[in-house]
Amino acid sequence: MSSQTLDKLPIGASATVLDVAGEPALQQRLLEMGVLPGVQVSIVRFAPLGDPIEIKVMGYSLSLRKSEAAHVTVSA
Amino acid sequence: MSDTTTSGRHARHDKHTIAVMGNPNTGKSTLFSALTGTRQKVANFPGVTVEAKIGTARFENSELTVIDLPGTYSLSARSPDERVATEALLGRIEGTPKPDGVLIVLDASSLDRNLYLGTQVLEFGLPAVVALTMMDVAEARGITVDAKKLSETLGVPVVVVNAPKGRGLDELKSTLHRTLHHPGKPLELPYPEDFTRGVGTLHENLCDLGVELGFKPTRPEALRLLVDGAGPFFEECEEVGGESWTRQFFEIRERAAGGRSLSMVEAQTRYGAIGGWMRDVKQTETREGRTKTDVVDGILTHKVWGSLVFILAMGLIFQSIYSWSGPMMDAIDGGFGALGDWVGGMLSEGALKSLIVDGVIPGVGGVLIFLPQILILFLFIAILEDLGYMARAAFLMDRLMSRFGLNGRSFIPMLSGFACAVPAIMGTRVIEDRNTRLTTIFLAPFMSCSARLPVYVLFIAAFVPETKVLGFLELQGLVLFAMYWVGVLAAIPTALVLKKGILKSKVTPFLLELPSYKAPRIKAVARTLLDRGGSFVKRAGTIILAVSILVWAAGYFPHSQRVDDQYDAEIATAEAPYSESVVKFDPETDPDSLMAKFLEADEAHDARVAALAEEITDDDALETAVADSKKKRNAAMAEIAASSTEATQALNDYVAWKELSEARGEIENQRAGHHLENSFLGRAGHLIEPAVKPLGWDWRIGMAAIASFPAREVIVATLGTIFNLGGDQDEESDSLREVVKDARRADGTPLFTLATGLSIMVFFALCAQCAATLAVMRRETNSWKWPVASFLYMTGLAYVAALVTYQVASAWGA
Ligand SMILES: Nc1nc2c(ncn2[C@@H]2O[C@H](COP(=O)(O)OP(=O)(O)OP(=O)(O)O)[C@@H](O)[C@H]2O)c(=O)[nH]1
Ligand SMILES: [Mg+2]
Repeated sequence: MSSQTLDKLPIGASATVLDVAGEPALQQRLLEMGVLPGVQVSIVRFAPLGDPIEIKVMGYSLSLRKSEAAHVTVSA
Repeated sequence: MSDTTTSGRHARHDKHTIAVMGNPNTGKSTLFSALTGTRQKVANFPGVTVEAKIGTARFENSELTVIDLPGTYSLSARSPDERVATEALLGRIEGTPKPDGVLIVLDASSLDRNLYLGTQVLEFGLPAVVALTMMDVAEARGITVDAKKLSETLGVPVVVVNAPKGRGLDELKSTLHRTLHHPGKPLELPYPEDFTRGVGTLHENLCDLGVELGFKPTRPEALRLLVDGAGPFFEECEEVGGESWTRQFFEIRERAAGGRSLSMVEAQTRYGAIGGWMRDVKQTETREGRTKTDVVDGILTHKVWGSLVFILAMGLIFQSIYSWSGPMMDAIDGGFGALGDWVGGMLSEGALKSLIVDGVIPGVGGVLIFLPQILILFLFIAILEDLGYMARAAFLMDRLMSRFGLNGRSFIPMLSGFACAVPAIMGTRVIEDRNTRLTTIFLAPFMSCSARLPVYVLFIAAFVPETKVLGFLELQGLVLFAMYWVGVLAAIPTALVLKKGILKSKVTPFLLELPSYKAPRIKAVARTLLDRGGSFVKRAGTIILAVSILVWAAGYFPHSQRVDDQYDAEIATAEAPYSESVVKFDPETDPDSLMAKFLEADEAHDARVAALAEEITDDDALETAVADSKKKRNAAMAEIAASSTEATQALNDYVAWKELSEARGEIENQRAGHHLENSFLGRAGHLIEPAVKPLGWDWRIGMAAIASFPAREVIVATLGTIFNLGGDQDEESDSLREVVKDARRADGTPLFTLATGLSIMVFFALCAQCAATLAVMRRETNSWKWPVASFLYMTGLAYVAALVTYQVASAWGA
């Protein structure tokens, strides 16, 4: 199974999270918000200036920056 | 005690304290208000409650103290907001009682994520009740939650509530009442063995440390410490336990992790358990199509439309503030004018009359007149907050804000700063990173708060012509819009300097939930308006009233008798050449006299001219119309004069009386001006005049600026008081705007020109004249360093900017 990072996915794409990295504070925050291995995420849209991204996870909308999404590995 | 029945009742009358905890925006505050009836701000933006609020609920004979805590996603203390929540739960906040139980609020529409915090709280083992909110929202999305099964799974009572509709509240109260009498049982989750062992080891270790810590740490606290490995509790242990403890601690962590990161272990265990429960508890029916929020967001966060709506919304707010408030402001203005006349008519000349008519009434009236605008601004902010738009604004603005080293979360405090810097600074607690937070605190006062509005409105109304640009934009509205940009433009370089220099920090996570849109509730919006309007009126009634009186006193005393005598003598000299009938004539006491008839004809002419000036814009046409009116007046006067010889004599007397009145008025103005110049305030103004002269100000404006240190909006009241005391007032229009237009310098040139007006506006846009803001800065940063730095920096910047504005504007001939 090939993998890529969350920030590279196009609008409308869904994927399963494989791993969450990043420095401890960011990693913990992502995990708490429900972005953890095995969870389905989908890209809803990008903000008008291209960053941050809005994703759907666990049935709610979460906004995060591309630089943060880059620490999330997803299945392609 | 002799009265056994009373003491018996006391015994049954029990008191408990509960803390309300849950994710942001799940309806905690709404539930809190419904339970306690306490007024409290409720809004649809994550993290609105930044301070714990306390209220009391009654059930039968028992009294329940309820603490409304800020919403958090987790108990790991990363932002000050979350720290408040955890410490309140443990009863470690001074002045807040230790809770006997918790009310966990769970949003049924995103139950999984809500249970993350839920399970963390349940592990503490306090008696707990779950309130399940937003069932209606969940149902609309095809999610059904089985409250009974959830209750069995968690081992605590679950009550379905809908606080906005008032449903489930009685059941919730009785359930709380019942539950609080039984000890709670900690929830147990299937952590990996290494992890559980690690928590146990750390707990023992902490208990050994407990004597020195001064309290006995609980097992769930040990768990939090193990996973978070940072935060205030960690620092405390480090200090008490020293280096050897820290080494041990990291060894325990290493062993507990078993190769993964501890936060990963915690999250996978929790979400793993939650996922298992949800198979029984929750049914999701996949709905075709998108939810309402998705559809709305498709527009509101769209690349083109979203930005457009955002800019339009901001523009609309400023235009409405300007155009809707007119009639209300005129009504308030008229009301205070009439009140002044009425009260003035009942009091005899002297210090008391001056205090009330020149000090209190114009001082308070001059500030209350801005109530309509403040209400309109808060109306918009309250609606946008309740709607859920504020989080979208943060989403839209993050990129832009991050250019200046801030983040999207700084946007909301900054936007609130346009209403008032005090709640804005308090609202920065949602910002996790300390340096970003400090930068935002420092910048919030640069946003043009509603207290600056009075200054802008006054000078814009007086000096900016009422014309339209491009056919539909009011020029006055545009200038107002521009004034709002002055602060923003000053804030940008300030932010960059701060973030590059003293407050450098690494980029902080920007994870923001975008809540679903909710229809704004009239009741909540109305409550916010009442609260805000009420506190503004209270401010006007207290601080501003006090300052008006002080300023009046500083401008009235020492009221020298010698000066009065001098002007009395001058008036006597002026009256000497006139006959007694001219000197003694008073239109109020003899309204039926012949002279009064001439006055009437004259006033009718003046009224016609005023009406014509409103109607006719063409100068030539106006001149002809005025000449016509003059002819009419002269004809009317001639007719009266021709009726008898007495009437002819009365016309001569009337003309003489008018001449004398003007001379008297001139002397009275000089008298008042002399008194003011001699007053304490006047002397202070003269003292700083050399410093403010380059800004185009005279000693009176300088004096008003000094007097408005406690609160900016006071400058308006101060100017009103000063110019009323200064007697520059004329009978036709005593509104401050006219007074300001008519104020003269000693050499007779107008005091306020467009350049002076702009210089004052720019000064007040940038200065830190607000005691409340400085006080809250001190509280939030816990140091005087920030308020002092802010005051010096802003005042210096304001001075320089006003200087440049005046010099440039007057060079352009404004
Ligand atoms: N549809 C629906 N809306 C609700 C319900 N309970 C609360 N709300 C709405 O949810 C919004 C947020 O409510 P708040 O009480 O401010 O939420 P909070 O949990 O205190 O939020 P923070 O203080 O920011 O953590 C408001 O617009 C409420 O009217 C409910 O049961 N159903
Ligand atoms: Mg709240």
